[in-house]
Amino acid sequence: MKKVLSLLLVAAMVIGILAACGGKEAAETPAEENKQEETVGAKIEVKEEALNDVKVEGDFAGQDIRVFIFAQEHEKTVYQSLIDKFTAQTGANVTFEVTTSDEYGQKLLAYKAAEDMPDVFYVGPEAVAANVNDGYLLPLDDYVDAAVVNNLWGTVASAYRYDGKTAGNGQGSLYALPKDLSTFAFAYNKDIFDAAGVAYPDPANPYTWDEFVEVCKKLTIDKDGDGEIDQWGCANALQWALDAFIYTNGGHFLNEDYTKVVIDGQPEFVDAFQFFADLTCKYGVTPTVEQDTALGGYQRWLDGQIGFYACGTWDVGAFMDKNTFPYQWGLCGWPTGKTGVSMTRNGSVGFAVSKDSKVPEAAAKLITLFSTDLEGQRVLSGETTGASLQIPNIMDYAKGDFKAKIADGTIPYGDNVDVIFNYIEGTDKYRGLFVETNYTYNADWWSEFLSGGYEYVLKGEKTAAEYCHEVQPAMQAALDNAIELQKAAEN
Amino acid sequence: MNKKPKFKMSAMAKREERWGLIFVAAPAIGFVLFMAWPIIFAILTSLTKWNGSKGFAGMMSKYCGLDNYVKLFQDTKFWKTVLTTVIYLIGIPVGMILGLILAMGMNRKIPGVRVLRTMYYVPVISSLVAVSILWAWVYNYDYGLLNVIIKTLTGHHGPNWLGDEILIKVSMIIFMVWKGLGTSIILYLAGLQNIPRSYYEAAMVDGANGWQKFKNITLPLLSPVTFYILVTTLIGGFQVFVEVQVMTNKGGIGYSAATIVYYLYEKAFESYQLGYASAISLVLAVIVFIITALNFKVQKHWVKTID
Repeated sequence: MKKVLSLLLVAAMVIGILAACGGKEAAETPAEENKQEETVGAKIEVKEEALNDVKVEGDFAGQDIRVFIFAQEHEKTVYQSLIDKFTAQTGANVTFEVTTSDEYGQKLLAYKAAEDMPDVFYVGPEAVAANVNDGYLLPLDDYVDAAVVNNLWGTVASAYRYDGKTAGNGQGSLYALPKDLSTFAFAYNKDIFDAAGVAYPDPANPYTWDEFVEVCKKLTIDKDGDGEIDQWGCANALQWALDAFIYTNGGHFLNEDYTKVVIDGQPEFVDAFQFFADLTCKYGVTPTVEQDTALGGYQRWLDGQIGFYACGTWDVGAFMDKNTFPYQWGLCGWPTGKTGVSMTRNGSVGFAVSKDSKVPEAAAKLITLFSTDLEGQRVLSGETTGASLQIPNIMDYAKGDFKAKIADGTIPYGDNVDVIFNYIEGTDKYRGLFVETNYTYNADWWSEFLSGGYEYVLKGEKTAAEYCHEVQPAMQAALDNAIELQKAAEN
Repeated sequence: MNKKPKFKMSAMAKREERWGLIFVAAPAIGFVLFMAWPIIFAILTSLTKWNGSKGFAGMMSKYCGLDNYVKLFQDTKFWKTVLTTVIYLIGIPVGMILGLILAMGMNRKIPGVRVLRTMYYVPVISSLVAVSILWAWVYNYDYGLLNVIIKTLTGHHGPNWLGDEILIKVSMIIFMVWKGLGTSIILYLAGLQNIPRSYYEAAMVDGANGWQKFKNITLPLLSPVTFYILVTTLIGGFQVFVEVQVMTNKGGIGYSAATIVYYLYEKAFESYQLGYASAISLVLAVIVFIITALNFKVQKHWVKTID
């Protein structure tokens, strides 16, 4: 008995010690834009009076609503002000819990495990299916006016629909209202173009890949004459930028029903990935892999070393802040491959209502306010703060006042804001889309691509074709596992 | 049949017994709540495909038997992290040898020895996250201290310490040795100061030289300390996580720096496969348990005490 006890104790010690290790946490929803948002240096102040005109209808006296989201300080101020108006006018009590995007996922997981879900919480398009299958999301069709939904961008309203089979294809019930809809456009540093005597890109006609390489070569120079390149045509972080090359070339990671990884031997994919790598290892118009590990592309862009760099809608506030980015800049399209259409990724996070909420009507009213209140949107899109962090969710306002305020300088913005609208709405030259991880149960198959050693392709030590051939089995195994997990969740 | 004699307890004895039970109850309840139940819970979780939803009932509804374990043993990525974790253990003997050498140096009466001891101990009491960030900068390809020194001395650019599958492991080992050195030094110092001087005096009388004294007195009498350091650093070595999370980008090039616990973390908190992650944690616990048990088994052949 003593031996058994001591064995148990040793086992307990070992597991206890193991359990004690922990560290930085991750968000459940990838919410890529929010992760990157935190690199922004602009300080944004929100004036309380900006929200004076908010009107809410409804009597929810005595009803308790618990809200749990992640937000930055200025967003928190906006939402808190909206909550104050909501409680004053409807009589509801709102508990507002805010965390960081890094900690959000784990805290929400804890609430799920403890069966103590908040009434209102964030969900990304990629997590809609899983959350609906697990019984966490309330369909909003009966709670939100059709007029409100019709005035949202079509892309984002579709993204939060789920018909029980495939999420994000515009079919089925609506499960969330967007906190935002972002897009990952391309920007150029006008000062670098001027210094090199190169004409600015034409947003009406995005470059072909060949044209892009030629322009980048002109911008890649040794400025101080020490024999080392210190200004590059572009810099691309693969995990965010590769899609823009794959999709424009007609390539894709998965088959149509998202059950098979199809990159091995797919010319559209392999050629696009090879071109992406060639920008580094063949044409030398980006920092090398080594240089990129020393100082990332984002920092180099802010430091004026890069001609072209990605610009998310959330970046605009920072890029317009002269302390952060003291250069003139404009927006343009990502260069185009075989399809001739410039493509990029859109992103979003949405406000959802818990299916177990005892106050669904009040909660739905509150998220409608968060998502589509005009005054709130004026603040978040930069009209009253001078720092734009998102495109307004309300289409009428976005296309009307918002654009007019950019034109008259009230909202500081880079040149060619239409590029953003083009990606969001889609034109014959532009298209934004939700990447394929949004349509699978988890993104493990994509993590396999990232952890398989793609850097060797960027270094020129391996071809894109070889890498795709090598990494596809691991990606497929991860996807198979995701499908299995989805089935387990559905049962 | 013999009947057990009945003892009638006095009121005071009963009261004492009650208090005794209350005192015992505190650690017993603590053990059940914070040790036994989590272990049982982890075992149960490892038999499911639970993603954290719907509490305990939700977990048990996703029962899948030993599927997670079968998958784990076929999971090449897991075995890659096991190998990397084992490679990192190379740092343990290196750290112990260095620790012993430095402790012997600091065991002498030399000026400034206290300052030296303090300096070596600073990394131990520093935040692991903070020093990991610091070392990530030391290893930085263009601006890192290490490569600046290399360039100054040789005129050539140093290597990409954190961007190469082999060098990243070397870099991590160097960091771990640096971080753990202070503890080894302090423990060895204490051990050295516990060895009676008379042993060395007797050896001197017998004509023993320095090496013989070290080999026949110092080393054997430090063996309990060595054993303690070995066991605790081995357990710690299997738990490496923070360094990898902070110093590498997603486990390093080709996942070459990722450890078992890093993989476990990714599975649990990035893709929410709590069942699979629990299976990893239990396999890890078994590995650590076996190695610790082996250490205890073998120690009687080499650990000596003054008695």
